[in-house]
Amino acid sequence: MHKISTLKQIITQSLLTLIGLFVLLPIWGMIRLAFDGSLKGRPTEFRFFPKEWSLTAFLQVLDRPYQSVEFSVLLKNSLIVSFGAALLAIVLGISLAYAFARFRFPARKQGLFAILLTAFLPPVAFMTPLYILLSILQIRTTLFALVLVYASFALPFCIWNMRAAFQAIPKEIEEAAFLDGAGDFQTFLNITFPLALPSIAISGLIAFLMAYSEFAIGWLFVDKADNVTLAMSIYAIVQSQYSGGAQPWSYLGSLVIIISIPVIIVFLIFQYTLLERMLFGSAE
Amino acid sequence: MKRFEVLIRILFIVLVAFIAWSLRARAVEKLSIDFDEDDYLRAGQEYTHLIRTSNWSGFLDTNYRPEHPPLAKIVIGLSLLSAPEKDLIRDAPTTSEPNRYLPRELVRPARTTNAILGWLTVLLLAIVNPVAGLALATHTFTIKYVSQIMLEALPALTSFITVLAYLQFKKKEKTNWLITSGIFLGLTAASKYLYCVVGIAILMDWFLEAKSKEQIKTFFRQALLWGVIAFAIFFIANPFLWTNPIGRLQESVFYHAQYSSSAEEVNRAGYPFWQPFNWLFFSPIAWHQDVFLFAPDIWITLLAVIGLARLWKRERVYVLWMGVALLFLLFWQTKWPQYIIIFTVPLSLSAAEGIASLWNQLLEWWKNRQVQRTTINKNEARRAIPWLVPGLIAFAIFTIFPLIFQVIVSMTDFNSASIRDGFQGGIWRAFWEGITGQIPISEWDGSRANSVRFTGLTSYPFVFNEIANGNGSGYSILFFNIMWAVVSVILQGGLGLGVALLLWQRGVKLGKFWQALFILPWAIPEMIGALMWFNIFQEDWGWLYLAAEKFGADSFFGVFTRNLENSPSLWLITFLLPALWYGFPFMMLAASTGLKLIPKEVYDAASMDGANAMQTFRYVTLPLLMPLLLPAIIVRGIFAFNQFYLFQTFYFLEGTLATLSYNVFNPTGYFGGGQFATSAVINIITVLILIIFVSMFNRWSKAEEGVVHA
Repeated sequence: MHKISTLKQIITQSLLTLIGLFVLLPIWGMIRLAFDGSLKGRPTEFRFFPKEWSLTAFLQVLDRPYQSVEFSVLLKNSLIVSFGAALLAIVLGISLAYAFARFRFPARKQGLFAILLTAFLPPVAFMTPLYILLSILQIRTTLFALVLVYASFALPFCIWNMRAAFQAIPKEIEEAAFLDGAGDFQTFLNITFPLALPSIAISGLIAFLMAYSEFAIGWLFVDKADNVTLAMSIYAIVQSQYSGGAQPWSYLGSLVIIISIPVIIVFLIFQYTLLERMLFGSAE
Repeated sequence: MKRFEVLIRILFIVLVAFIAWSLRARAVEKLSIDFDEDDYLRAGQEYTHLIRTSNWSGFLDTNYRPEHPPLAKIVIGLSLLSAPEKDLIRDAPTTSEPNRYLPRELVRPARTTNAILGWLTVLLLAIVNPVAGLALATHTFTIKYVSQIMLEALPALTSFITVLAYLQFKKKEKTNWLITSGIFLGLTAASKYLYCVVGIAILMDWFLEAKSKEQIKTFFRQALLWGVIAFAIFFIANPFLWTNPIGRLQESVFYHAQYSSSAEEVNRAGYPFWQPFNWLFFSPIAWHQDVFLFAPDIWITLLAVIGLARLWKRERVYVLWMGVALLFLLFWQTKWPQYIIIFTVPLSLSAAEGIASLWNQLLEWWKNRQVQRTTINKNEARRAIPWLVPGLIAFAIFTIFPLIFQVIVSMTDFNSASIRDGFQGGIWRAFWEGITGQIPISEWDGSRANSVRFTGLTSYPFVFNEIANGNGSGYSILFFNIMWAVVSVILQGGLGLGVALLLWQRGVKLGKFWQALFILPWAIPEMIGALMWFNIFQEDWGWLYLAAEKFGADSFFGVFTRNLENSPSLWLITFLLPALWYGFPFMMLAASTGLKLIPKEVYDAASMDGANAMQTFRYVTLPLLMPLLLPAIIVRGIFAFNQFYLFQTFYFLEGTLATLSYNVFNPTGYFGGGQFATSAVINIITVLILIIFVSMFNRWSKAEEGVVHA
């Protein structure tokens, strides 16, 4: 393969620029809103750049983005729910993942299929029964309920991925420890788990991100403003704008940017690992 | 043994013929009068009158509704000869409502004649393939339109004979069959132009055949003969053309082009370009409640999809027939339901192959099941128990139990009116008492009572109908959902692969920068990405609409937004673009990972063999890349099938099953909201569909293989 010619380089670069514009256009639309200090409500005229550059929206949003709830409360809720869900999914799923990675037992294939299938189900498919069950238990509107719900969405996916993580560790290492007289549990705790930890953390990260950006199902469960997460507050702003709410659209734009930045950083760092995980290990 | 099989086959064909006739006879009697029946009855009456008065020259100038050639109408006229003479049905514009007061004495013989032609089609098909015959015999759309005074029955039959004769010619190479095929194609054209798509399919198949045998010259000579015969017969069977062939032919052909683009009823219907598929998921059972006993239409369609590959191997021309017909209907702007009759014969054949293929797979699975019983190390299984137990308990509580509970909910009518009772144990009570037979099943009817009732599985057919064909509205959420998954994933895969190939060229400047930029949409949470696009497409304050306001109605933006409101096909783009934007980075990454795995030596070898860039891509890169890309395509396809946040943000509540389920559930949502049990039913249907998709993923990616060797 030879290096491409100048003509090809020019064609390539212009095509890439075109796609770059396609990628950036909607993002720019939000940025324009976020920095426009002149907006009183919804945008009323076509503009490509903000009319008055300003940071007031960001400052407002970092104070009280939604109703009278402080930003810090929303952030705290988001972190509690996302960390809680990710941790719960990992802790609950780890032993099953290990069992499927290391041992052969009856109905193992069917079990794997069940995990894969449930990992592919849309969250909505779990929403209906969980709503009713948590209502019966009378904890539906709490933050804890959100943790349970999001953990339930993430659990099959985490099991599947942690299984792959354990499989990636050579069996021989474990066998050596086993020969030294360590039991199954000790081997796991001292050898396998530390080695698999980075991969497990990635599974947790995906679960975290899912809970961090979920909003629609959250709104079905929670009804108090104090229990709202960041992502949910965005949707609430959109909904209130839909019914003629008073907040300027720059708030929405700035909140969107604030929420997205950490996720974007995570994705840029872990892009290939995340890709592999999201392919359900089929790229192995 | 052989004789026994033949006997069974003949018995089966007789049975199919019996079923076909009884269903059609029932439809003749019971179907209400539909659009156009008055027109074609009047057209028939005119011919009856001409025959009765022996006014043969009158044929030259008679053709009521001249956009369609006269043959099928003449047949209707012949059928009325035995009926008493009545006043001519009054002339009404094509937009008018169906004429409910047609004289029964005329309707019956006209319909019966059509039904007999429709029955003959089934009989012929049953002889070719009895199972396909059964499918066509019970296909409610076909039954409806061949049993009414429409022009479908005759050309449906003659187009099938055209193919059969062609196949005989292909097999035996006797010119007689070629002539027969040409004659019937001519008769088809003299009945209704649309059915001539079969001719295009035949030509394609014929050409491919000739090309593989290197007999192109013979092909052109024979095809010319065939075409000339067809045209001659068309002319002979079309007396209306005799006096002024060119003028009248032009008139009738141009009528259709104009009708499809400007007729009031076509515009009013406002069907999207994929409407033919909606009809395939539909059954007129929704329009005529007591005429049809059951509606296998959607199942025939689904089986036909499964059987396509098999049918292609067995007899290519049928698949081509279906393909040409569908392609034509997708582009043709008039999308009346009766048009799908032009390919229900190959559809039925494909469905029969689908059944055969499923049956074979079942047999294979049964055989492998016996073989694959590997021995299990008891010691290892015992060691697994302490790991399995806690994990299984968690998995059961968090995943399995909710799904089982969902099944239970789906067998009740739990909704917002019975919310109190349900939360206080009403669901369990209703389910338990129902399943043990203590209370009778209350048929699900969508009504809301204060206490939870046991409905068994009665709500499933209703909900399935709602999903499959919008309960008679002719809009299929199920098809939209599947089409959405397929189309959006193809677009994403195409762009992703394209970008990956661009970046993969040696010496591309700024490669790292571009890749980092293109990953952005993937990194942005879906809901936020959807909001960003909503900010462009929203009707009041979206960028596009603000631009239309600023630059005027005649600017690109103005025209675009105006068209967007009137065209459901264009409107699909407002969803596809965000989905493409959001999904292509993933495919790009997957493709570039795959490209890196292809060894460089392969390309050296290819360039030494003198392959150009296109050839290298087609024969080297793509085959090596596909196995790596396929799992990514299926994973993204499943995600697209489940797409929720995009449609929810755009407030298109019937986008996917997931969106529908959410909004049916939401107490402040759709259909009055708070239909918890209905939502559960939709979810269970989703689970069943996903079982198929995940099995495909499993097979293609061999995701389990790593496990087996562990």
